[in-house]
Order: sequence, then structure tokens, then C-alpha cells
Amino acid sequence: MGLALLPWLMVGLINRTKARWAGRLGPPLLQSVYDVLRLCRKRPVYSETTTAIFRLTPYVGLAATLAAALVVPIIGFRPLWSFSFDFIWLAYLWGLGRAALMLGALDTGSSFEGMGASREATFATLVEPALLLVMGALGATTGTTSLMGAVSQGAHSIEALVAWGASLFALLVVVQAEGARMPVDDPTTHLELTMIHEVMVLDHSGPELAAIQTTAALKLTLGVSLIAALLNPWTGSGPAATGLVVHLLLMVMIAVVIGTIESLWARFQLPVLHRYLFMAVVGGAVALLATTWQGGGL
Amino acid sequence: MLGLTIAGAVLLVGALCALALPNNRARAAAALSTQGLALVITLGSVFPVLAGGPALAESWALSYPLDVVSGEVDALSSFFIAWSLPMTLLGTLYAVGYLQRSFEEGRNGGPHFALLNIIALSFLIIYGSRHAIIFLLGWELAAVSAWLLVIWDYKNQKVRFSAFNYLVSTHVGLLVLVAAFMYLHGQTGSMDFAAFGRTLGVSSGGRSFVFLLLGASFALKSAFFPVHSWLPRAHSAAPAHVSALMSGVIHKAGLFAFLRFTLLIGEPEEWMGWLVLLFGALSALFGVVYAASQRDLKRLLGYSSTENVGIAAMGFGVAYLGLCWDQPALVALGITGGLLHILNHALFKCLLFYAAGAVYRSTHTVDLERLGGLLRRMPRTGWLFLVGALAIAGIPPMNGFMSELLVYAGLLGQTAPGSVENAALVSAAALLGFVGSVSALAMVRAFGVAFLGSPRDSAVTDHGDPPATMLLPMGLHAAGVVLLGLAPSVGVAFIRPVVVLFHSGAAGMAAVDDVLSPLQWACRGLVVGIVVLGLVGWRLGRGARRHVTWGCGYTAANPRMQYTGSSFSQPFVEIFESLSPQRWRVKLSGKIFPPASGHLEVHVADAVEGRIFEVLGRGEQLFVRAAAAIPEQPRYAFGAGLVVLVVLVGLLVAGGVP
Repeated sequence: MGLALLPWLMVGLINRTKARWAGRLGPPLLQSVYDVLRLCRKRPVYSETTTAIFRLTPYVGLAATLAAALVVPIIGFRPLWSFSFDFIWLAYLWGLGRAALMLGALDTGSSFEGMGASREATFATLVEPALLLVMGALGATTGTTSLMGAVSQGAHSIEALVAWGASLFALLVVVQAEGARMPVDDPTTHLELTMIHEVMVLDHSGPELAAIQTTAALKLTLGVSLIAALLNPWTGSGPAATGLVVHLLLMVMIAVVIGTIESLWARFQLPVLHRYLFMAVVGGAVALLATTWQGGGL
Repeated sequence: MLGLTIAGAVLLVGALCALALPNNRARAAAALSTQGLALVITLGSVFPVLAGGPALAESWALSYPLDVVSGEVDALSSFFIAWSLPMTLLGTLYAVGYLQRSFEEGRNGGPHFALLNIIALSFLIIYGSRHAIIFLLGWELAAVSAWLLVIWDYKNQKVRFSAFNYLVSTHVGLLVLVAAFMYLHGQTGSMDFAAFGRTLGVSSGGRSFVFLLLGASFALKSAFFPVHSWLPRAHSAAPAHVSALMSGVIHKAGLFAFLRFTLLIGEPEEWMGWLVLLFGALSALFGVVYAASQRDLKRLLGYSSTENVGIAAMGFGVAYLGLCWDQPALVALGITGGLLHILNHALFKCLLFYAAGAVYRSTHTVDLERLGGLLRRMPRTGWLFLVGALAIAGIPPMNGFMSELLVYAGLLGQTAPGSVENAALVSAAALLGFVGSVSALAMVRAFGVAFLGSPRDSAVTDHGDPPATMLLPMGLHAAGVVLLGLAPSVGVAFIRPVVVLFHSGAAGMAAVDDVLSPLQWACRGLVVGIVVLGLVGWRLGRGARRHVTWGCGYTAANPRMQYTGSSFSQPFVEIFESLSPQRWRVKLSGKIFPPASGHLEVHVADAVEGRIFEVLGRGEQLFVRAAAAIPEQPRYAFGAGLVVLVVLVGLLVAGGVP
């Protein structure tokens, strides 16, 4: 039961943290659940310009994110399914979700939504190589080729520590980009200067919007879970109960950190935002270099 | 081999009939029926080889200068023949509908249909021959037939120029190929590929030289970086089915020949593998970055061909490294990934070109800036284009994801002997990830701008979906895309005997199956999930109200305010300005309420081609200046020419030419 509510708890925690930084009490932790239930009861409004694409893509995105959730170690010690190169499956499923969102946005024929889709597509191109570099580097350290293997490595030497730290930073930037968090994107506005994701769902209503909000919460949880699994020294080894508890505590901590960053930093200007995202690629490259150094090359 | 010879003869008869028969309907029927018959005969001959049987081989004893001509159809040739001929048949079927208006205006379709038969015949020659001269004959036949097919619209000067550009490029490649063959003939004294293998199988400076020559020729044929610029130009000029066949089928002959010579090389050197990987990666990178900014839909698809051929070459580079490092798993992953990607690319690229052709036939434009909202008026074409677009972006559950996955598995499998090599492979994988996401950008842009939203130019009218002769090839290709996406083992089953040729065998294919099987189930589960959630969502959305698109309170929105293709790609192109420079022609007043109408035009030129011609131009200037510096003495020119002639003849006589 708690596990099913985990995505919304994450979003609720981030919103609570932001509210506390702003001096407010903040909404209830499960506010997003009430929002989704309310939206499901509403009758949607479709634009006359849209086609079946608009009606179907929110559910395609939800299905893609649910499929991605199968391979991510959400509950700490093991994902539901682990196989070789599952991180490629993860990356490309995120790509499917993104493509679905962009197609839904372009379907409305609105210039605003086209703008959001264009920015989303551009910044996604910088994020994907970062993820692959991180996974390649971590996999080379552990000699494994799956997501679970990559994150369950400990830091045994200076080079491994550097790789681990750089990977953490790169993953944090990736989560900020994918989860539409500051300083990459502002999740509270859809105005031209500040938005990427929020504007793509401007025309969605009712059950479609509920599906999209669920997808967003789930994607954020997956990303946070990846980082927590990397931080957790008990991932993949040691007692399962300890690993689980530590994992959940780490996820709470990371949610608070993300909320804090959102409260203290403004979003970067669009012309320079790609440099921040490129730092994720640099982080991945540093991790790869550290791994190569450790392996005896250079 | 008898079957293939009969099939070739049938195709030739069909070509002659297509030229001789009186009306277009009969000509089309002749071409289609003979291609169908040849297809059946060929598949019957070739399937046993693909099922693991022995290769078909035959030799014909002819007189000088060909001596003995041998032909052999092994698993590699069979793989390529098995899908080239059906796709040519589907292209011919598409042509019947696509060119219908021209036929109604009185054009003679005979040469066109005959050339389509000749193309199919040239495939049999290229893929079946083992004699260098016959191979070159087939190569040239395919190139010239393709050129003649491209200039269907010969009254248009731009079309003639683009086709001429293609002709010159392909003949430059031919020259290089002839040079390579001449060198090999000089070393071995024979024109047979098996004899070439004697030189190619031994590591030496000569082999490296020949490898570079062959690589350059095949790179030009298959439109690799940096010699890719003729492809988008030819594709935007040619009729849709010709572009589809060129991109999907004809230019894969370059990759086939590359693999054929790899088999002769046996165990390559490591720098060869890195070179192939490098040029594959560069082709993928440049192809996709240019594809993201094109406004002509067919040019976009042409650049995307360069990208996909680059991805296949990355797979082959991985296989080369596997051959060099003695890693059968790596060889299997690389070869299977590359060949599966070639097959997948043929499937979805032809589909996309057919859909683009349907759009052109309906609206008379393929300019993204003028299209929009076509999904409502051409639903079948639109949905089929979507299937192709998702496949080419490598998005699961379509087939492009499966073949790219195999290339990833080769790059990220940590089978390299050293950590530096491993880091290089991981970097290549990251580049492939970048290419994948940019390709998603390009394809979402192409589909979204052309088919979604509202029409951007009210002057463009459309005539709805194309006829069944055009929809059937599209549908069949889409079915192939979905099939190979959900069950890639079907495609892998045909590639298995090819991998055996590379001495990889069971251990290697086990690695491929290990990688593919969990993902096959994952993709099927994903499709089930999408269908279930889609049905649930559809039910939840019943009883919805309809209204206009939310314009944030602005009530006078019009379709011209939508994001266009160039606006969509603008942020991306600005970040990567150095790779694809833009040219802006701007006349804007800068005021919020401008007094007069303004003008903005954005062009993305092919910087690679521009640079090549700039260098050539500077070389030509140097040459002209040097030639001008030689003083002109007409009295002595005759004597000098005579001396040169005598020296040349003397050299030839000394060299032993009879």
C-alpha cells in the first residue's frame, strides 16, 4: 500500500520542502493523490484540432513509465526484473514517454505547446549520453552489464570513489532534467520564460491529465530511486530489511534535497541551460576516465 | 544457381516486354508479373541456403578476357537477395499508383518499369557473382539504372542536376573500386574473388592500401560521411519509390560488398576496426544533426539514411574488433546488429518514403513549413508514417530499437582487452545514445509538423489517402516493422548462417539470444500494457466536450502561429551551430507592431560538402596558377607530346603488356 503511494509521497515531500522554505505550512503529503482522483472524475475537454494521438499518448507514456519501473530498484535491494542492458531499455522507454508527450503537445496546434516540445526534445538529446556514460562507467567497475549490477558497487579505491561521485552528480542532473525540476525547469508555471514540461500538458484535462501527473510522479520516483540505490551501501548485498529501510530514508533525503535546490536556485536562462546539462555528460565522462584509470589504462 | 539464372532471364524478358508493350497498364503488368515470378524462383533457390544449407556455386567457362566466371550464393548473398527482391517488387507496385497522373497525361512508363526490372537483375548479379568484372558490371548496371530512374521528372533542371551529382559521385566510387580491383589483379593474376582472398588474407602494406580504397568506394556508394551529400539531393529530386529503393535497397550493396571483402580479409587488423567504427559514428552524428534541421521531408529522410548506415557500420566496426580480439560473442553481436539494422532500415525507410510520396501526391509539396494537420485528412498514411517514424527513432517496441540494442550490447559488453579500448567503446555508445535522441527529435518534428496541428499554409490543398496500390506496400512494410520489433528472432534466424561464415558459430549466437530474449518479452509486455491502458483511457474519455485549443486567454489564434519545423529545431541547431551552420535571410523591423510585413528565411547548408568543394576549389586554383606559370611554346608542344608518348609506350612494353 505504501509502495503504491510512494511516487505521490515523493512529490508531496518536495512540495512540502519548498513550502517550508517559503515560510508556509504546505499542502498535505498526499495532495497529489487527491488531485489525481479528482481529475479522474472529471469530464475531459478535447480541442477540435486534436486527433486520437492526443487521447492516447498520455496512456502510452504511463505504460512506458510503468514498464521502466520494472527494472529500477525501487524497493532497495532488487528490482522486479533485471537483465543485461536493461539500462538501455530504461533510457529508450523514457524516450518513448517523451516522444508521446511531445506528439500530444504538437497535436493541439498551439504555439505554446510546440515551444515546450521543442525545448524538451533539445534538452533530452544532452541527457541521454550522460546516462549511458554513467552506466558504462559503473558497469566497467563492477564487470556487470545490468542496472542493478551497476548501482550495487561499493567504493573500493580512490578512482572508484571519484567515479561514484561523478556518477552521482550526473544522475542528479539527469533526474532534474527528466523530472522537470529546477534548475532545468520550473514545475509551477507554464509561462514562456520559465517552462519546458508544464506547457506541454496545457490542453490536457480530466483522466488524461491524471495519467500525465501520475507518469511525472513515477518518473521522478524512478530517478530518485536510482540515485538512492547508488548511495546505499547495502544495495544488492547485506540484509534485505536494512537495505530497504536505508533506501527509503535515502529517497526521503534526496526528495528534500531536490526541494531545497528548487527553493534556493532559480532556473537557468535558456541560452545557457544546455551548458548545465552538458555538465552531466562531463560528469559521466569523468566517471569513465576514473574507471579507465583504475582498470590500468592511461 | 540454375534458379537464379532463370530468374535473371525472366527479369530481362520482363524488361523487354515493358519496353515493347503498347500501353502503360500492360507494361506495369509485365514488370510486376515477371518480378513476382523471379521473386518466387529466387526465394525458392535461396531459402535452403538461409536455412543452413550449402552455398550455391557454379562456374562458367568463357573465353578471353573473362576466362572462368564463378558465381556463388552463400548465406551473406542470400540474406541480401531475400529482401532486396521483394522490396523492389513492392516499389514497382507503388510506382503504378504514384505515377498514375503522369501516365494519364500520356507519359510512357515503359523505360521506367523496365529499369525497375533491370535493378532487380543487377541485385542478382552483384550479390551472386564472384568475378570482379561481372561484379563491376552489376555495380554499374545498378548505378546507371538508378540514375535513369531518378530523372523521371527530367524536364526540371534541378532534378537533372541532382541526378547528375549522383551519377558523378557514384562513378568516382567506381573509379576507386576499379583501382582496387586492378591492384588485386596485379597481385594475384586473376579476377576471381577467391584469388583476391590470397592477397587480402595476408597482413601487408598492400592489403591496408586496398582496404582503404575499397572502404572509400563502398563509403561513397552507401553515403557515409564525408561523401554523403549527393544522397539527400538525389532523394529530394527522385520519385518517392525510387528514393525508397535507392535508400533502402540499392545502396546497401555497398555494405554487402564491404562484408564480402571482410570475409576475404579473414582476420583484420585492429586499426581497420577502429576506422570503421569511427566513420560509422561520424556518419551517424552528421546524418542525424542535419536531418533534424531539414525542411524538405525527403531530404530529411535522406540524411537519416546516412545516420542509419552509420549505425550499421558501427556494428560492423564492433565485429571487426571482435574478429581481431578473437571474441566470437562480439563478432556475432556486431554482425547481427549491423545486418539486422540494414534489414530494419530497409523496412522503415521504404515505408517513410512511400508515405512522403503519398503526401506529395496528395498535396504537391513536401515542405514541412507548409504542411500540417494531415493526420485527419490522410489517416492511413499518417498512422503508417507514425509507425515508421517511431521505428527509425529506435523507440521500443518497434524494430529499430532491437537492432540498435544489439550494437549497444557489442559496445557496452566490456569484452575489450584493455580499459582504454573499453572506454572508447563506451564513448561510442554514448554517441549512439545522442544520435538516438536527436533522431527522436527529428522524427517527432517531421511527423508532428506535417501530420499534427492545423495546416500551416492555406494554399495547400490535399486529396486524401492514396489508392490501394500505394497503401499496400506501406502496410506490408509497417507489418514487417512491427513483426521484427516484437519478434526480432525471426530476423536473427536469417542472419544466423551469415554469422557462421564469420567463424562465430554457436557461442556467439548464444550471446545474441541472451541479449534479445528478455527484451522481446519486455516489448511484448509493453505493447500489452499500452493496449490495456489505451482502452481504459479511451473509455474514460467518452462523453468529452469539444472546444478550441487553449490559447492562454488569447482568442484570435490562427494556424500561422503554430510552431513550424524550423522553430522546432531552432534551439537544437543553435547549440550545435558548428556542425550545421545556418544562413539567415532576415528583414524584420524589430518593432512589436511592425509597420510593414517582414521576411525571415533560414537555410541549413551541408557544411561537409561545402568544405570539400572549398578544398577542391583551392586545389584547382593552385593548379591553374601553376599551369599559367608554364610558358606557352606551341612549336615545342608537339615535340614534347611525342617524347611523352614514346616514354609511355616504352614503359608499357617493358611492363609486359602484349
